[in-house]
Amino acid sequence: MIEGMLYVLSNHYQRYVLYFFYYAMNVYSAFCGIPFKSGVCSLHNITNNIFNTTFNVLFSGQKYRLEVGFQAMEHLINVLQTDRSDSEIIGYALDTLFNIVSNDLEEEEQDDLEEENPQKQVDDLGRQFTEIFIKQQENVTLLLTFLEEFDFQVRWPGVKLLTSLLKQQGPQVQQIILVSPMGVSRLMDLLADSREVIRNDGVLLLQQLTKSNAAIQKIVAFENAFERLLDIVTDEGNSDGGIVVEDCLLLLQNLLKNNNSNQNFFKEGSYIQRMKPWFEVGDDNSGWSAQKVTNLHLMLQLVRVLVSPTNPPGATSSCQKTMFHCGLLQQLCTILMATGVPADILTETINTVSEVIRGCQINQDYFASVNAPSNPPRSAIVVLLMSMVNERQPFVLRCAVLYCFQCFLYKNQKGQGEIVSTLLPSTIDATGNSVSAGQLLCGGLFSTDSLSNWCAAVALAHALQDNATLKEQLLRVQLATSIGNPPVSLLQQCTNILSQGDKIDRRGSKVQTRVGLLMLLCTWLSDCPIAVTHFLHNSANIPFLTGQIAENLGEEEQLVQGLCALLLGICIYYNDNSLENCRKEKLKQLIEKRIGKENFIEKLGFISKHELYSKAAQKPQPSFSSADHMMFDHEFTKLVKELEGIITKAIYKSSEEDKQEEEVKKTLEQHDNIVTHYKKVIREQDRQLEELKQKVNTLKSQNEQLQTAVTQQMSQIQQHKDQYNLLKVQLGKDNQHHSSHSDMLQMNGIQPEEISKLRQEIEELKNKHEVLQGQLREKDSVIENMKSLQSETGRTEQSSQITAGLEHANELHRELEALRIQIQSQSSDISKLQSEKQELLQQMNTASVPALGDSTAVIAAKNSELEGRLLQEIKELKSEVKALSEEKALLKQHLDSSNSTAAVLQDEKSKLQQEVSESKKEQDDLLVLLADQDQKIFALKNKLKELGQPVEDEDDIESGDQADEDEEEDGEEED
Amino acid sequence: MAYAYLFKYIIIGDTGVGKSCLLLQFTDKRFQPVHDLTIGVEFGARMITIDGKQIKLQIWDTAGQESFRSITRSYYRGAAGALLVYDITRRDTFNHLTTWLEDARQHSNSNMVIMLIGNKSDLESRREVKKEEGEAFAREHGLIFMETSAKTASNVEEAFINTAKEIYEKIQEGVFDINNEANGIKIGPQHAASNATLTGNQGGQQAGGGCC
Repeated sequence: MIEGMLYVLSNHYQRYVLYFFYYAMNVYSAFCGIPFKSGVCSLHNITNNIFNTTFNVLFSGQKYRLEVGFQAMEHLINVLQTDRSDSEIIGYALDTLFNIVSNDLEEEEQDDLEEENPQKQVDDLGRQFTEIFIKQQENVTLLLTFLEEFDFQVRWPGVKLLTSLLKQQGPQVQQIILVSPMGVSRLMDLLADSREVIRNDGVLLLQQLTKSNAAIQKIVAFENAFERLLDIVTDEGNSDGGIVVEDCLLLLQNLLKNNNSNQNFFKEGSYIQRMKPWFEVGDDNSGWSAQKVTNLHLMLQLVRVLVSPTNPPGATSSCQKTMFHCGLLQQLCTILMATGVPADILTETINTVSEVIRGCQINQDYFASVNAPSNPPRSAIVVLLMSMVNERQPFVLRCAVLYCFQCFLYKNQKGQGEIVSTLLPSTIDATGNSVSAGQLLCGGLFSTDSLSNWCAAVALAHALQDNATLKEQLLRVQLATSIGNPPVSLLQQCTNILSQGDKIDRRGSKVQTRVGLLMLLCTWLSDCPIAVTHFLHNSANIPFLTGQIAENLGEEEQLVQGLCALLLGICIYYNDNSLENCRKEKLKQLIEKRIGKENFIEKLGFISKHELYSKAAQKPQPSFSSADHMMFDHEFTKLVKELEGIITKAIYKSSEEDKQEEEVKKTLEQHDNIVTHYKKVIREQDRQLEELKQKVNTLKSQNEQLQTAVTQQMSQIQQHKDQYNLLKVQLGKDNQHHSSHSDMLQMNGIQPEEISKLRQEIEELKNKHEVLQGQLREKDSVIENMKSLQSETGRTEQSSQITAGLEHANELHRELEALRIQIQSQSSDISKLQSEKQELLQQMNTASVPALGDSTAVIAAKNSELEGRLLQEIKELKSEVKALSEEKALLKQHLDSSNSTAAVLQDEKSKLQQEVSESKKEQDDLLVLLADQDQKIFALKNKLKELGQPVEDEDDIESGDQADEDEEEDGEEED
Repeated sequence: MAYAYLFKYIIIGDTGVGKSCLLLQFTDKRFQPVHDLTIGVEFGARMITIDGKQIKLQIWDTAGQESFRSITRSYYRGAAGALLVYDITRRDTFNHLTTWLEDARQHSNSNMVIMLIGNKSDLESRREVKKEEGEAFAREHGLIFMETSAKTASNVEEAFINTAKEIYEKIQEGVFDINNEANGIKIGPQHAASNATLTGNQGGQQAGGGCC
């Protein structure tokens, strides 16, 4: 029947067959109670589902599974190749293939669990089918083309099938996709699908595709995967989003983990900045769903991927800086100090902060400044250390805190100093109000909890790592053990606990405490001869160490023995022979006598042979499967590596060799001293050089400034010179103009012209004046004439009238006289003006002549002075010119006024002329009248004579005079 | 770190012509005489300025070996610019240019700007390919051409920047669809706002198509 069905599948009745399946399976499932897959409701999907269910039912008998699979696949692939246009059929075929190559969900989970069990061949079925399918590479490329199909019916099952193929035969399928043109790029388009189902399954497909294949990871990243995935995470609500966010985060992790190129791209694409909002988690206690915890956990891990200590140092540090600058670190620290954060998230946050600050000074400084929002505020470091030495805190959290503290101190001398200083006598807060880091570490060191002992010891060792100064400083620390007893040094207390540790009842393993303390002592004493001397000063210490090493103890104690051997070795190697009883040779002799060289070396070798040692050596983060395994610190393993060989050599060396070495060392030291001396000298010289260089630079710049100033001044001087020359030329011209005033020199070019104009005008005025005078004179003579005429007429009897005319003429004459006086005053004005002008010219002359003499002398002397003087002189000249022009204006005004007076004069003159002519006319009239009257008088006389009357001349004249006047008036009127 | 545009480049060409060295010289300003064979693709980035605008260059340096060809082909489509490099002291690398160009033209978007680079110009004494030949090839195929030396840094800067200039000009001319990131061009955050409406419209159309 099965074969029959399969055969039908391959012909074109398949749809009906499928529908038949649909109804048949409906009934079937009703009987058998096979559940439908949830969330599927359309008819087609149900059909599809039933179709698959049919196969699943067929598959459920393992016996037939292989057979059914083999035969079905051939047909199904055939369908894919031939019925490409029928999307419905293609969809079913793809879905069926998916069911063939993948196992059911439950089986899949079993798969994962039993993968290591090769006997379970059943689970390899899917793998075998996959192998068959991908044997023909075209099948995969064909599948890739179906993935380009937009039709949901095709695309979705296609995505699921390819995901399954990748799950089953990852590397091979990856390789096929990689070589098919644009294979990976096309799969990236799934993320752009608007249908969430496809987009989400696309993410799952890409997860499988990118698994441990750097080339594909890079292509996916190149195709903007970061952008797309980050967009999805944002759209889904960051950590509040559902499983899609989780899937995206897993894919991002695939793309970034151990892929430096992609990490670089991620950083360069400014995607770190986009991670910040992920950690904007509210401070509320609610809302920590399991999904949110998962999401946040993955988000934190992504941050860690970018700043992992195993990444190239440059890459990590640039990511660390970006995380600080975009506020990501600050955000993480907020979570660190927030309340209500689930313990595992808090732990992972601490680990993340650790790696973000590790070895990065600005981040470490920031971390040191973080305060917990408590009252009074406590530093985050103190709050964290409190958790570390608190035995009620979860083990992983305490490990995380230790890691954080180690990362804070890693390559951070400043931080180390701050921690150690809280232990030093001078800085301990006497009031005891606040707990310091140092106090907490000491408390942990001497607590009854071995884990606290170990953590505190390792933490303190990190505060001393590679810091000789602090190793010496820490020797000053004194502890008050109990009231009444004298204080004990920290070093002493450590060794005391080490030797008497067995007597104290404590939680946890005694070995752990001792290993912790020994690691601290080894770190403290290494490379610090003073600390070695302090240690040897306590006479109980060496016997204790030799005793420990020599004893034949159980396996558990081997580690302690090894560390004791290391400490003793350090005491030999870093011994400066300042204690007579504990010189190098003495200690070596002691080893030979009490322990034996071979035995000692063997015990020393226990350390590096320990399995926990090699585990700790792998990475900086302290991660232990259980508290018992907490034995070695990563940094300490480095120290062991460094010292093991050196100490072995030192022990095997004979005392003679030692002596020789000592000598060599001494000479070396001398050399060193010399070298350091020279180094100092060189440093000093360097400093001086630097200073001198700076000086030279400032001088250079000064010089440059000065030079520019000089050139500026030079050009100014040149300008002035040019001006000066110009002026000179103008002066020369002026001289030519005023040849009469040979002493006159510099003048504003316009002024002489104006002066000459003025002069001309004055001249004209003079001429006019002359003319006027001439005219006046003429008139005078005319009047004189008339006078004489009048006097002639006056001889006549009726001369009274003439006298009146004469009087009139006299008046005229007076007026003329007044005019003359006016003209005279004008001419005096003019002469005054002239003299003023003269004065002016002289003034100008006196102003310019000495200046000239001076300036020429000064130019010869100094340029700068000349310039100054020139400037001043020019200023003076200018002001003088100004004054001159003012005066000129004044003169002009004068001239104007004189002009106007001249005009007035002319007016008056014309008036006078008119009057003169009038008077002339009058005179003529008078003369006519006189002639008339003469005639009349003559006639009257004659008449009187005829009548015989005596003639009285005088009466006639008087009476006649009146009449004459009347007539005269009449005459005038008639005129 | 704000930029106006982001351009994606690829560097292609035969193995050993100095692709990685060109990138290293451009991004780190240093020369590594002995360089490991590039496995697959390596990434580098740098900011440049064109026309007063900050432009971020993301550069994928591909492996020249034939075995990686299928991988490196995946990078053609999403790149806005390609530096096709040959070695002036090895004629065979010049002879292979046609194949490279065909490959690039086939898999890239048609607007991709290709800059032909004759590298190792410092080794004048060992020159096998004349500068004129490179120029002629570039002219014939419509490429920009330059001879560079990753060792002396001669023309390295110019090669990357001139390619960017060409792309920039194409954007100004409207040849590139800058809203389609598949072209290897991305608008910077501060410029995105002005183009938001345009993108929105296109998105709407795409969504509409999806419903049918």
